[in-house]
Amino acid sequence: MMRRAIPFIVLIGLAGGILWFFPLFSVVPLKRAQEEKAAATFNPQKFAETFWTDKLLPYLDKAVPAETLLPAIQHDPADAKKRFARSLGMSDSYTYFLSGTGRVIAVSDDEISLAITAGSTNAEVSLPMGMLFGNAIRDGTGLLDVNAYPNSQDFNNIANELNHLVETRVLPGLKERATVGATIHFAGCAEVDDESTDLKPLHVVPIQAEVK
Amino acid sequence: MNSKEMLKRLQPLIALAAMVIALSVIPETHSTFLTFSNVRNILLQISVNLSLSIGMTLVILTGGIDLSVGAILAFGGAFAAGLFKNGLSLSLFGVQVQFTVLGAVIAGILAGATLGLHNGLVITRLRLPPFVATLAMLCIARCFAMLWTNGHPVSALGEHFDFMGAGSFIGIPMAVWISVALAILFQIFSKRTPLGRYIYAVGGSEKAAKFAGLNVNNIKLWVYTLAGALAGVAGLIQTARLDTAEPNAGLGYELDSIAAVVIGGTSLSGGRGSIFGTILGCLIIGVLNNGLVLLGVSPFWQLGIKGYVIIAAVAIDNLSSRKKE
Repeated sequence: MMRRAIPFIVLIGLAGGILWFFPLFSVVPLKRAQEEKAAATFNPQKFAETFWTDKLLPYLDKAVPAETLLPAIQHDPADAKKRFARSLGMSDSYTYFLSGTGRVIAVSDDEISLAITAGSTNAEVSLPMGMLFGNAIRDGTGLLDVNAYPNSQDFNNIANELNHLVETRVLPGLKERATVGATIHFAGCAEVDDESTDLKPLHVVPIQAEVK
Repeated sequence: MNSKEMLKRLQPLIALAAMVIALSVIPETHSTFLTFSNVRNILLQISVNLSLSIGMTLVILTGGIDLSVGAILAFGGAFAAGLFKNGLSLSLFGVQVQFTVLGAVIAGILAGATLGLHNGLVITRLRLPPFVATLAMLCIARCFAMLWTNGHPVSALGEHFDFMGAGSFIGIPMAVWISVALAILFQIFSKRTPLGRYIYAVGGSEKAAKFAGLNVNNIKLWVYTLAGALAGVAGLIQTARLDTAEPNAGLGYELDSIAAVVIGGTSLSGGRGSIFGTILGCLIIGVLNNGLVLLGVSPFWQLGIKGYVIIAAVAIDNLSSRKKE
């Protein structure tokens, strides 16, 4: 009887030894586990707030001047893309990071149209006024690297939160003060998905906009 | 074994060799098909199907069928990923059980085995046909996967969890090592162990097996449980490969798995076939898919072509059986 039990005892001992060195699980107090999870969970709202203040606003002076970019696009869109645009991964769409000053030539519920070149009466840049979608701000400056976010949902949430900051911090003041003939100094990002519609005018999501 | 029987057994191997030779010669594919990266890609793509098909072979050898392996794959992967990522909160005791990779992997396999056991119990105790019992499990396992994940993917599992799907050893993906190891293990199991031989006996003639004193119900229980566990393994491989457990994973995988088993020469009426044949069946499907992609054939046509390959495989098998009779 004892002899027959020996293999089982050895087997159980072996399994116990393996599990001692490679445990299957650990038990922790629920409160501690919840605190750890909250600390480890990515908070896109908090991240976007910090990113906006600490990195994005101080970086605005690195934007390409609209006076340089717009003529370049008009002259040779492919060359302008090569020189000034950024694109994420293998995506066909790309973004520009630009700043400039323009004269308001039209205001609607959806957008403010600006003429940038002196004497121009054409809308060369438009600033959206409604709800924002897309990744222009997130991807436009090149400050955020997609590879730093193993969870793509986190990366997408950053775009949503940055858009929300523009909607709540930048657009209300613009809406209130922009009138035809006024001058606006802006800095922002433009996402180009379709060159036939997105370049003329260039749809710029403003990170900063000052009406003079 | 006479020469005709030998030839019949070698049919899948001949078919595979013919496809490999053809794709190595055709101008559109000859420069890409036999490259290391393409072969590696084919092996990686068949690894999930091979794990599923090993279990499916055992089931079909008993004369049964398992339509739930795709859904069990989804639940097995999601269960393990959920346990690993979020742990198991036991509010009643004020504790949370946090799983290691090994713990989550074992839990995923056990989850698959449990659902497989459920299939076996329904088939043997309630006497439902395997088609109906596993069709029901297809819905039940998918329901569990949805409930467990709230319908959302569980992602960002980390490199340790992903190693079994995305890692590699001497240039060969871990997923391939795992599925090949399983195939060898179950080839030996089916041919060299008493339970393996009983499976053939049950499929050959259930009545005769009963008269011979075999506990047919217990054998079937083991087979469906093993098929469930292997679907769990397939779920883990898929989850680790994609770094995400999708509650919708594995949709239609049961069909690819049945196709691989049938193309590999296992008889749908049971009692005849082998794991080795199933490996060839998986390779044929993998090479066929890869070849059609390299040839630029539309995905819509690919489905139809795969369908006709299955018809051809079974028709050839039937024809040679009739000749024998």
